[in-house]
Amino acid sequence: MPDVEHYTCLGCPMGCPLELVHEGDEIIEVSGHRCTRGTKYARQEFVAPQRNLSTTVAIHGARWARLPVKVVQPLPKERVMEVARIIHALRVEAPVEMGQVLLEDVLGLPGAAVVATRSMERLPDASG
Amino acid sequence: MMGRMEGRYDVVVIGGGPAGMAAAVGARDAGAGRVLILDREPEPGGILLQCIHSGFGLHYFREELTGPEYAQRFLEKVVDTDVDVLPGAYVSALAVDSDGDKQVRVMSETHGVSSVAARAVVMAMGCRERTRAAIRIPGDRPAGIYTAGLAQKLVNQMGYLPGRRIAILGSGDIGLIMARRLALEGAEVVGVFELMPYSNGLARNIVQCLDDYGIPLHLSTTVSFVHGRERVEKITVAPVDDHLQLIPSRAWDVPCDTLLVSIGLIPDNELAQRLAMRLDTNTGGPIVSSSLETSLPGVFACGNVLHVHDLVDYVTNESLLAGQFAGEWAQGVRRPVDNVRLVPGENVRYCLPHTLSPGRYHTLYMRAKTALQPCRIRVGNLLERTLPFVVPAEMITLKIRPDLLDSYQDDTLRIDIVPAEEGEPRA
Amino acid sequence: MHDVAIIGGGVVGCAIARELSRYKVRVVLIEAAAEVGFGVSKSNSGIIHAGHQSAPDTGKGRFDVRGNALFGQLADDLKFGFRRIGALVVARDREELPALQALQAQGEAKRVPDLEMWSANRLHREEPNLSHTLTGALYSPSAGVINPYECCFALAENAVANGVELRVESPVQRIERTPEGLLLHTPHERIPARFVLNCAGLYADKVAELVGLRDFTIRPRRGEEYLLDKRLQGLVRRIVYPLPTRLTKGVLIIPTFDGTMMVGPTADDQDDRGDVRTTEAGSAQVFDAVRTLCPSISARDTIAEFAGLRPVASTNDFIIGPTAVKGFINVAGIQSPGLTAAPAIAEHVVEILRAEGLELVEDAAFEPSIAGPTRFAMLPLAEQQRLAARNPLFARMVCRCELVTEAEVHEAIDHGARTLDGLKFRVRAGMGRCQGGFCTARCLELLSQRLERPLAAITKRGGDSWMVTGLASPQHPSAEEAGQP
Repeated sequence: MPDVEHYTCLGCPMGCPLELVHEGDEIIEVSGHRCTRGTKYARQEFVAPQRNLSTTVAIHGARWARLPVKVVQPLPKERVMEVARIIHALRVEAPVEMGQVLLEDVLGLPGAAVVATRSMERLPDASG
Repeated sequence: MMGRMEGRYDVVVIGGGPAGMAAAVGARDAGAGRVLILDREPEPGGILLQCIHSGFGLHYFREELTGPEYAQRFLEKVVDTDVDVLPGAYVSALAVDSDGDKQVRVMSETHGVSSVAARAVVMAMGCRERTRAAIRIPGDRPAGIYTAGLAQKLVNQMGYLPGRRIAILGSGDIGLIMARRLALEGAEVVGVFELMPYSNGLARNIVQCLDDYGIPLHLSTTVSFVHGRERVEKITVAPVDDHLQLIPSRAWDVPCDTLLVSIGLIPDNELAQRLAMRLDTNTGGPIVSSSLETSLPGVFACGNVLHVHDLVDYVTNESLLAGQFAGEWAQGVRRPVDNVRLVPGENVRYCLPHTLSPGRYHTLYMRAKTALQPCRIRVGNLLERTLPFVVPAEMITLKIRPDLLDSYQDDTLRIDIVPAEEGEPRA
Repeated sequence: MHDVAIIGGGVVGCAIARELSRYKVRVVLIEAAAEVGFGVSKSNSGIIHAGHQSAPDTGKGRFDVRGNALFGQLADDLKFGFRRIGALVVARDREELPALQALQAQGEAKRVPDLEMWSANRLHREEPNLSHTLTGALYSPSAGVINPYECCFALAENAVANGVELRVESPVQRIERTPEGLLLHTPHERIPARFVLNCAGLYADKVAELVGLRDFTIRPRRGEEYLLDKRLQGLVRRIVYPLPTRLTKGVLIIPTFDGTMMVGPTADDQDDRGDVRTTEAGSAQVFDAVRTLCPSISARDTIAEFAGLRPVASTNDFIIGPTAVKGFINVAGIQSPGLTAAPAIAEHVVEILRAEGLELVEDAAFEPSIAGPTRFAMLPLAEQQRLAARNPLFARMVCRCELVTEAEVHEAIDHGARTLDGLKFRVRAGMGRCQGGFCTARCLELLSQRLERPLAAITKRGGDSWMVTGLASPQHPSAEEAGQP
């Protein structure tokens, strides 16, 4: 007996309502997408849901106390909070460049680098 | 050059967020020699600097970027096109002198209280948030009631939580994004409450901000009382009926120490009002021609100060155009006055620009009043477009070819958004 | 040993402090909240009444005409805003006219200046937006409006400049009788004084109990007020009262000093001394009443609302005078027209002290005026440029809605602001369209920086009104330094 899963595609702001028809673990059909990102998303969500993560870390010596960062690739959904905790323990010294890698392979996941999403200069009167 | 403001300018842009930066680039690309951006924050980038989540740039940069990345990439363009940028600069007044030049009064720590002359001005000041006072929630007046945008700044730039146990009123995108952000930072988000029977935010945000974090969404529910002498202690919420009236008998209390209100954005139209510019009461922003020129000649408007956008990519496109028109105006180009009025018809809350001309490209922007699926957008009897759905929360854009209005006789063009039959062919 | 300790830094306590600072006496002003004026004095109609509405044989009626007369000089000296916009008591039908005449007679007996009876025609000409069913009005040109908290801040600032000591966040918890006088216990210190003035507003009965006196109680009477959209500015030019009831002056229309129209207050007795809620019922009551005076005003026009508490004594009158406890003097139950009466009450209390044995030698060094806060937004351009050239922080905008500069924020902190509301009520930062959405973050930074306290320790108005808390994840130890350009 085929089952249907209903997802909202997270691939872009359109959020197409997707339907994935499957029989047990076997995917039969995906519909509702308006681009190929949708089919990929539905399949991934069915097999191993992933989420993107962006957050901030403490930075010293810059204009602001927080530096915005992101993980460059999606993470397993159930491990996002764990990764957030690891990232939140980081300390960064200004200056920082946009795209600078702050942590490689978080949780040992290959390619899951944590990078700065903006540059921040060091303030001239920053101590240390 | 960063930090420089001197001499006369062809175009002065008020606001250095995505709208202002794009307008400046558009003006330079159109040949304006000297362009200045004035931004009141310590660094340009506008609200993008605190929007650390991704969802920006899919159209313009063809990749999904976070807010700060979008801002920085655009700032690089601005610097590359040799635009002057003065941060920490607040525009307190604008006047037109006898030559038609604009005198922009600027307050900045580096330049004191001074004036800068410009041929054309682009208003790109963005918007502000509606407050608790605006919807008159009764109750005590404790600490702990913030707009979602203020909470976002506190968390993302300054590193403080607005509280530990947080209720959110309003399920627009800002409220949803902050629900996730706060949960990620270890706060307890007790729920999102939404007056309407539907959320105003993107469907994907309901999933990735609420469902993923187990944060309940209570539709058709609003806050009826705030309790707490010095700090919020709890809120009373109650469902509303079909006429949005409270049903007090079904109210319940939600213990919390913080209430975030995310109940709408208003164009920052203080300067426009002081200049007695003609405003559109539907958008809250100025009335503009097909060149995005306001009722004050040589003053243009774009971005959230003109009408509140959902996607920064559209802000960029609109603002590049406004900058282009401002740049051309500064070099003496005067287009003939538009002769067709664009009016919102059935199910259209507003449409922009307010006037059109034959023989030009136009991008029309509009919003629906109520959700419809599927639907047809009718532009007079000139054009029809079928869409699978429209919702008020998502702005619709429509490109018009120059020849569309060529044989149009009427001086008014009405846009309607009406239901379509299922299975109608898509245009 | 202080000569005089004043318990309560509301308008009465501050006015007495300032009055006493004319003399060579040691005075300490003790306030429980984080800022002076943050109790009853902050949240009221801000009206300086003409004086004809209170009976001359009451405490309430004894000080208002004199107080009103003193306000002109006081505002000039202390640089707070005061405008004599005039007031009208209106009659809603012919049956009310005799009561209006009685009020006029009462006013004339009390020597209220320049009272005039207006016919319906005159009223309609002068105030065309008031209801055309009104049959007449009693006009008093001497009535005016202030921002009451500005007055408190200014009085306290002048008192302190003239030698009065100020203690805030210092509730008096115990009072001991000693051979020399009285010893006051606050959480931070013990303050000995020969004379103690009980100006403790809503808690005056509790303070009196601390010395064993139980001859009156205070019961709060809550009044809700509603501020209206700026587009209604100028709709009505003068303060408008209906005829007074036994309990209150009724629901009024008040053009505030800042020009914003305000309507209210209600009058609800309650037990809770901290409950300042606004309610649907209160709003309905106010707008129903106001509509009979001015039909163009409706609840839809509300942009903000608040409530204040009147400290009503069990006698329903002022309780001013010495007590069975030597040195302990009550200045309690100061409900309306307490704001108006405050300067005159201050004079009277000084005389009580003199009669009770306090030597009052005038201090030649007494400076009656203060410089007053810089209101940058109100200055002409040339003056703005001059100020900014000398101090670049005058060109750094903090509150864009009310056009408040960073230099003014520093001034307010110099003059005693210690909380976000302390800033807000001194310089108006956070009072505008965006209600602090854009400036709160910067104001918190500046308070933290200047007061040398962690940002998370800054409160909205003292006590438990904390604003923010640290992130759940541990902060970098020097994270506090960042963000201080």
